[in-house]
Order: sequence, then structure tokens, then C-alpha cells
Amino acid sequence: MDAKTLESDALTAIAAADTTDAIETVRVEFLGRKSALKQALREVRDRETGMTLNAVRERLEAAVDARDDELARAELDRRLTTEKVDVTLPAGGGGRGHLHPITQIRREVEDIFLGLGYRVVDGREVETTRYNFDALNFPAGHPARSPQQSLFIDDKTVLRTETSPSQIRTMEAQQPPIYVVSLGRCYRRDTPDATHTPIFHQVEGLVVDEGVTLADLEGTLDFLLKKLFGEERRTEFRTHDFPFTEPSIEAYVSCHVCDGDGCPVCRHSGWIEIGGAGMVDPKLFEFVGYDPERYSGFAFGWGLERIAVLRHKIPDLRELWRNDLRLLRQF
Amino acid sequence: MKAPLSWLREYVRVDATAQEIARRLNVSSLEVERVLDVGVPDADGNLARFAVGKVVEAVKHPNADKLQLCQVDVGEGEPRQIVCGAWNFGVGATVAVALPGSTVFSKDGELFQLGEAKLRGEASRGMILAEDELGLGRDHAGIMLLPDGIEPGTPLADVLPIHDQVLDVTPTMNRVDLLSMVGLAREVAALCGGELLPIDVVDPPIRHPELVEVTVEDPDRCPRYIARVLKNVTIGPSPIWLRARLYAAGMRSISNVVDVTNYVMHVHGSPLHAFDRSLLSGGCIVVRRAADGEELRTLDGTLRKLDSRDLMITDGEKSVALGAIMGGQESEVTDQTTEVLLEAANFEPVGILRTSERLGLRTEGSNRWEKGVDPYSAEPAAILATRLIVDLAGAELTGAADIHSGLPARPVVRLRPERTDRIVGLTVDPDEQREILGRLGFEVDDEWDVTVPTWRARDVTREIDVVEEVARVVLERVPHTMPLRRLVAGHLSEDQRLRRLVEDILVGAGFAEAYTWSLVATDPDSRAILLPAPMTSEQAVLRTTLLSGLVDAARVNVDAGNEPIALFELARLYLPTGEQLPEERWRVGGIVQGGFTAARATVETIYAALHLELRVRRAVLPQLHPGKSAEIDAGWLGELHPALLDGEWGVFELDLATLFEPIPERIDYQDVITYPAVDQDIAVTVAEEVEAGAIRDVVVGAGGPELREARLFDVYRGDQIGAGRKSVAVHLSFQSSERTLSEDEATAMREQIVEALAERFGAELRA
Ligand SMILES: [Zn+2]
Repeated sequence: MDAKTLESDALTAIAAADTTDAIETVRVEFLGRKSALKQALREVRDRETGMTLNAVRERLEAAVDARDDELARAELDRRLTTEKVDVTLPAGGGGRGHLHPITQIRREVEDIFLGLGYRVVDGREVETTRYNFDALNFPAGHPARSPQQSLFIDDKTVLRTETSPSQIRTMEAQQPPIYVVSLGRCYRRDTPDATHTPIFHQVEGLVVDEGVTLADLEGTLDFLLKKLFGEERRTEFRTHDFPFTEPSIEAYVSCHVCDGDGCPVCRHSGWIEIGGAGMVDPKLFEFVGYDPERYSGFAFGWGLERIAVLRHKIPDLRELWRNDLRLLRQF
Repeated sequence: MKAPLSWLREYVRVDATAQEIARRLNVSSLEVERVLDVGVPDADGNLARFAVGKVVEAVKHPNADKLQLCQVDVGEGEPRQIVCGAWNFGVGATVAVALPGSTVFSKDGELFQLGEAKLRGEASRGMILAEDELGLGRDHAGIMLLPDGIEPGTPLADVLPIHDQVLDVTPTMNRVDLLSMVGLAREVAALCGGELLPIDVVDPPIRHPELVEVTVEDPDRCPRYIARVLKNVTIGPSPIWLRARLYAAGMRSISNVVDVTNYVMHVHGSPLHAFDRSLLSGGCIVVRRAADGEELRTLDGTLRKLDSRDLMITDGEKSVALGAIMGGQESEVTDQTTEVLLEAANFEPVGILRTSERLGLRTEGSNRWEKGVDPYSAEPAAILATRLIVDLAGAELTGAADIHSGLPARPVVRLRPERTDRIVGLTVDPDEQREILGRLGFEVDDEWDVTVPTWRARDVTREIDVVEEVARVVLERVPHTMPLRRLVAGHLSEDQRLRRLVEDILVGAGFAEAYTWSLVATDPDSRAILLPAPMTSEQAVLRTTLLSGLVDAARVNVDAGNEPIALFELARLYLPTGEQLPEERWRVGGIVQGGFTAARATVETIYAALHLELRVRRAVLPQLHPGKSAEIDAGWLGELHPALLDGEWGVFELDLATLFEPIPERIDYQDVITYPAVDQDIAVTVAEEVEAGAIRDVVVGAGGPELREARLFDVYRGDQIGAGRKSVAVHLSFQSSERTLSEDEATAMREQIVEALAERFGAELRA
């Protein structure tokens, strides 16, 4: 049999095959065990013929493979064009849960301070009056000591009215330098309304070190407020009075709604009051046995609800305790 | 407190505007809540359209019985004709006149522009004003009569604050000295570079002197008592300047004598009280504690029941006032009063708050006393009030007493000016510190010994307090820096990190986080801590479980029609210890639709994520379905008892310290790649009551070290198995990290497992 004719017949058949099934038939016919070429190869006796026939075989195998790939690809493309889905149709995902907005802010504040080198400490919620009032320099007769304002268990035990007792416990447990924040529940005898709930959350910050200044406090709070309310915010600090700090200040941030022009959120002042702060009163150092000539420090205590309400424009603080999924899913 | 600026400027000369003053006060002194405008508008030259007028003719309107036709000299040469509806004046009266074009208030309090008008045929070229038309008060009974002797045509604004700005201020607890006009003036002078103006008042002489007998039995609560007796008092309305000031300051005008006590309290910050002396039948003043059960009808008409904690002012026979809080009704000054005993006392804060809270009675007086008023201020207050009563009510002073046993010495504090710099973080020149303190009334000598003014003596007693005085004045100049933070490193504790992880696991599992009250109505633990005086019965007990809060939260969502419901809370519980403080433990609890299976699946997820082995034991717990309840070392899980909430709810609660304790410190690598695993499944039949956990324990025990996985994947019951029995299928996977296991080896291990199951449970191999 003429190798040339066989090759040209085979190439014609390969070119004519128009499906992968057809090309498989061609492969069997021209390259299969019973094909003329395989027959001839088995019967070959001289080297030259053998080389010629093998070369034909290699060329035909390559041609069949190439045509097979080509047809398979075309068939795949045809099939894929029929497998169209509506890509805009939802697939039922989104079943994840949600952290409460207070937890989200709590973590954000914690992370800001972790980045600044602070630790997070867990205070107690049920406290002795010694830690909640005496050690914090609340004078006798201070309204917070009254059962009209605070929730008492007995004469000497109270649900903490602020996170500040954690300051004393931290200072008692270690020597300076101290850089800590403490976040958690506090309790006051406030009738629930749009801006009060008897249980609320505070973040307490405490720094005690050599050479700590009011300027350091303002710089730290300026950093925190810009992280929470936006880098473009301005901050202002005004004098105030707290039993456990001296000097005491109150932190304000320029209104994030009107940017200082005045609106109902900031009661037309352009400023929003965030919370109190100050330099740790030397009385507290005396209580825990630190030398106030060697160490100075600052502290602040802010409500997390207030931050949440301002940032998310929540009209009523009680919503945060409703636990309605329609509300929680927004956050 | 409301501070009208025109009044304030009587005590301080300063160029700053109201807005500038408010700004400086806000930063350095006290909260200025807002700046209010009172009176007629000060725009477009409006104030120039008001003048003092003198009535030169007043006759009945020819065409109207109720109107007067007046000719009023307003300094223009020719008098103006003005029609007026009031009759409380006549020829010669000095009155306030609005000229056409001015903007004034209508009877309804609306602003309108006055025009020239014809009333019943007669031209009216202006208006004779009542105080409400100027916004100086509420009175519309007649027109406002000005004192005689003012030149007609004098701008009205020179005589009366017909336009004023009022600072609405709230000082902090320690700054009761700022609840006074003189205190505010001092502060404004110091902050805005103003000049403090003296109050020149001459104490009237005592005429026909008489003894005023005052006994203070409780000098700790009443360290000073000034009493002054005034006779020939004529009670009547206050003059317009006083009425206008009180009105702008938010106080009601009552009568000249009562108005004077309120006015002077506003000026000096020391509350006063006026008694009708003729009604003090005992004839003297005795300050003492109330007898238990004693009663007094206070000025507001309420009968108050008192006890020995309350301080009383008595006339020697009966109580006449609740000391520092409110006068008694019986000795009240009335129109008939002709003799007044003026009280300018000083009361210590101790006990006042308790009495006023117990009685639910807060007054302008108690609000000041409970913060600690300067005992020195009683004297200038007494003098100013006496002077005004003499001047305004035609009275004469006939007796005076001032009872105290020495007024407190002014504290002296040594300041190191460099200490200020070290605390504030700003260099403030010592000369500037000296100047700031001087302007605030502190005296600083060459040694930097600082003598504190009397009005700050309670508050400023230490060097740090003096530092604060400087710091607050320079507050706007304080730079923003960060502390050094040497030797510190920020990190969460292991427990804090794991608490966040548990929250994240549950969020990933589809749970939303709930916040529920730590105070609950009831708690299953009978020893749980009760609040002796809860706000409501719903918040009376410190909880020892999260369950009731979560059940309530689930119910809220059922009622709202929300689906699917899965909620968790991670919070503290308060376990009674028998000692003063409870043990506060962190717990995580959850509630989820889908009954026991959903609870178990969630707990499995938590354990798997924490690399913990979950071992569950059947248990009967009252809050759970008795057949679907289980204990774990760290807590419990199961199906909520249907009596607590309709439907099938999975619930769990885990104590986090217990949960975290067995978490492996680190995970050691195991080679599960190099040599292939041999997988084999078995199915055995066992009695129905044999639990999966027990089967698994036997499989693991018999399987040997190369059994890498034993997972129960099917439980089947049916006819082929027989009644009372079930088939349990277990997937086994054997693997060695040292060599390839042969099928034969795996089969041998499998047979060991089957034998052990047969021996332990009578299990029969099915496949
Ligand atoms: Zn705003």
C-alpha cells in the first residue's frame, strides 16, 4: 500500500470529521489495531519502510489529536452557551449573624488602644463602696453615694456607677507604668428614657507613668475621637469637675452632622459633648501608695451608648436593649 | 442660672460680645448652655425708636369711653398725640414710648411693626408701652410707669434693658460661687481681660435700735445667722428696673420685699429669706433640729412631716421655716406686712440634700446650700438687701444680729509654678501664673504661698487645685501630645482573645448578639443576690443564668414575626459566695430555632473551633425538655422546656473559664499526608438504650493508636433490625504516620473494635 495515498486519505478524513465521535472513528480506521497502517507496520521488514511508515503514523496521530482538541473545545463552547443562569438572582447567602453595635464599638475602642500599647482589663460590676466611692475621692454626701442615684446591695456594696473602680484595682495590682482601658457595664438609678437606661457601658482609660501631662491626655483623646468620628473632626476640651481627677476636663468633638455649623444633633452649638477626663487626683495615688511627686497620670470614662447613638443616629438608647433582629441585622 | 448681660456689665467692664464671653466661659469656667435674646429686637436701628416720654395732657377720647387721648413730650419740641387704652396714669407721668416704625410685641407675644394710626378718628403717633410689649415682663394690666425726673426724649435703652442677651449657665458642683452675678463677673474679668467694678452699697443706719435675739443650737449645720429687722415696710410692686432684671433672669416678680431677696441671692449667691416679723410670735430666732414627727406647712402649701435629721428655723415657740430649703406659710410676707425679719444665714451642705431628696423639694436655695455657699457672702447680701428694702419699701432698719463662732480661715497653699508646667505639659511663665491667680481673687506672695479667696475655700485646698486654676485659664493653649509609653506592649489576655473568638464563631454560625439586663425579676438560684430597693420588680435580682433574658429576647422576635431566630449573649453572671462580693463569671448562652439538634450543632461548632472534644452527658434540668437535655463540663445544652416558650428551641449556656481551661496550649503537627489512610465502615445492631457516646468511647478505646477517626454517621431502625434495637453505622479511618497500613492490618483492628462492641453491648455486626 502506498504510504502517501494512505496519509492523504487519512488527512482528508480527519479534516472532514466534524464531531469528537467522528474523529474517534477516524482514529480507529487509520490508527487502530486493525488499520492498514498498523497492519503494514507489523509486516514491515526493511528499516527504510519502517521509518517512513512510523513518520506517517506520528504525523497522523498529531493531526488526529489536534483535530480532536479543536472539536472538543468547540463542543464545550457550544454546551456552555446553553448553560446560562440569571446572575442577578440571589442564592440565599447572608445567613451570618451580627455583633451587637455596642460590642462593635467596644472592639473598635479596644483595638485603637491596643495599637497604642495599652492593655485591656476586666473590672468588676459589683463593687465595694470603698472602691466605687472612697478610693475615688467621692466626698461624703456626694449625690452619687445616695440610694436615690445608685443601686446598692447593702451599705457597703453597690453596682458600680462607673468603670473607674477598675483604676484602683489596677493600680493596687501593679506598679507604673500603667496603660490600660477597661470596658463594661455600669449601673445607675436612672428611669429609662431616650437618653438613659439604668444599665449602660463605659470605657475607662488609665495612664500612670513618669511625666504624663494634660497635653498627653488631650493628644490621646484627640486621636481617639478622630478615629471614632472621622479624621476631619476638630476637638475641644473644656474645664469640668470630677472627684477623681484634677484638673478635670470634658471632651467635645465638632459635630459630624453639620461640621460645626449648628444642627439639632449638636443643639445648634456645633460641638458634641463626649465625656469626662482629667489628671488622676493625687488622692488616688495616696490610696494605692504611689508617689505623686514621681508619677502623674490621666484617666477618662466615656459612655459607649453615647458613641453608638451618635455614630449610627439611633434616636432612642433603649433600642439597643430591644434585641429585635430587624434592628440588629442593620449592624 | 440665667445671667442677663446688661446686669453683668454693672459688675465688670469688658469689651467682649456675649458670644465671646460664652466661649471663654465654656472652655474655662462652666457650661453656657445658650445665649438667649430678650426684649425687642436690636436690628435696623430699632432701639433708637424707643424714648422716655412725659405725659403733658391726658383726656378721654371724644369718640371712645375706654380710650385716653394723650399728648406726650418725647423731646421733639412738639408733643406727640398718642391714643392709649390704659388708665393707670395721668398728666405728669413718665412713660415709655414706642415711635412709629419700631418693632414691639403684641398681646399674644408676636413681634409686629408699629405704624401711625387713626383710632376712632384721632391720630395716634406712637404707643405708650406696657412691660409685655417690650418683652420685659408679662404684665399687661396697665402701662409701665418710669421713675420721675428722667428727661423726656432720653433713649429708652439708656434707662431700661429693652434689648438684652442672657447667658444660661450651669456650673459644676464645685463652683457654686458661679451661681451669682458677682462670681460670674469675676470670672469674665479674669478670662476676657475685663475690669471688675466694685459694688458700692452703704448699709443703712439702725434707727430706734432694738435687740434681735438669735440662738443657733446646731452651729455645725448653721455656722452663721444674720438677722435684720426692718419696720415701717410698705409692701408693693417692685420698680420696673427690678422687675425687668428678675424677668430676664427667669424669676417671677412677687412684691418688693420678696423680689429683693431673690435679686440679692442672684447677685451674691447667698440665699435670703424674709419673715413677717409680726407673725413670729416667739419674738426671736432659734435654729435647731426638728423634733421627730414635727410638722410644718411650707410656702408651697404642703404640710411637711419632719424628723431629727431636718434643720428648722423657729421663733422660739414654733417652727417658721425648713432651714435652707423653704420658708413656712404662716410667717410669709404678705400685702399686710409692715415688719420684716430678714434672714441672711449660712448653712452647711450636710443633710440638706438628704432632706430635700426625702421631701422631693428642690429650691433655688437648697440647690445652692447643698453645694456649699461661702459664709462670708452672707454679709454683703444682708447689706444689699437691707439697703434695697429701705430704698424700695420705705422701711427703716431697727435691729441687726450676726451670730457665728468665727468664720473659716482662708487656706494657704504653696505652689511650685514649675509643677503647673509638669502637670499641664505647657510652659506657663510664672508671672503669668501669678497674674491669672490674682485676677481670680487668689493672693500670691513672694514665696509662692497662695491664699485662697473665701468663695473657693472648700474647693481649693491643695497645690494641685491651684494648678487647676491656672490650667483651666490656659486650657486652649495646651498642645496635643502622646505619652512616652516606654516599657509597655498592648495585647489582649488569652481569655479576652478567646471571648472574641467565641463571639465570632457564633456570628459565623448565624447568631445575632443580644444585650439583656443583668437584673432580672426572678432567678432559679434561691441564693441569688437581691437588690433591697430595686427600681422595678422586673429588675430586682442579679442573674445567675443568661437564659431568662434570652427567652425574652426570642419572644420579642417571635412577636415581631422575625425568622430565623438565633440569638446569643456573652456576659457576666453573679454567683453568690457568702462573702461581700459575688463571683462574677463570664458565660455565653444561646437560643435558636430547631430544638435540641440546633443547640447541639451550635455547641459542636464552638468546641470544634476551640479544638476541644465535646463530651455530653444526659441530665435532667428543670429549664429543659426532660428527654432532650444534657450537661457538659462547661454547662448545659438541650431543648427549651416548652412551658417556657412555645415551639422547639435549642438553648445552651457555657461557663467560659471552664470551657477555655482544657484548650490545648499549642497544636502539634501530625503527618496525615505521607502514608495513606485505610477507610472502613461498620454497622452494628445494639439495644435502643445504648447511646452513641458510649459506642464511640468503646470504639476509640478498642481501636488502638492508629485509629485516626471514628465517626457515627447513621442510626437506622426497622423491621430487619427487630424491635428495641437499632443499627449504628461508624466510619473508621486507620492511618500511621510511619508506614503504609495494609488492608489486613486495618481489618484486624476493625475486628478488635467489633469484638469489644459485642462484649460491651452485645452488638452484632451487620456489615
Ligand atoms: Zn451639628
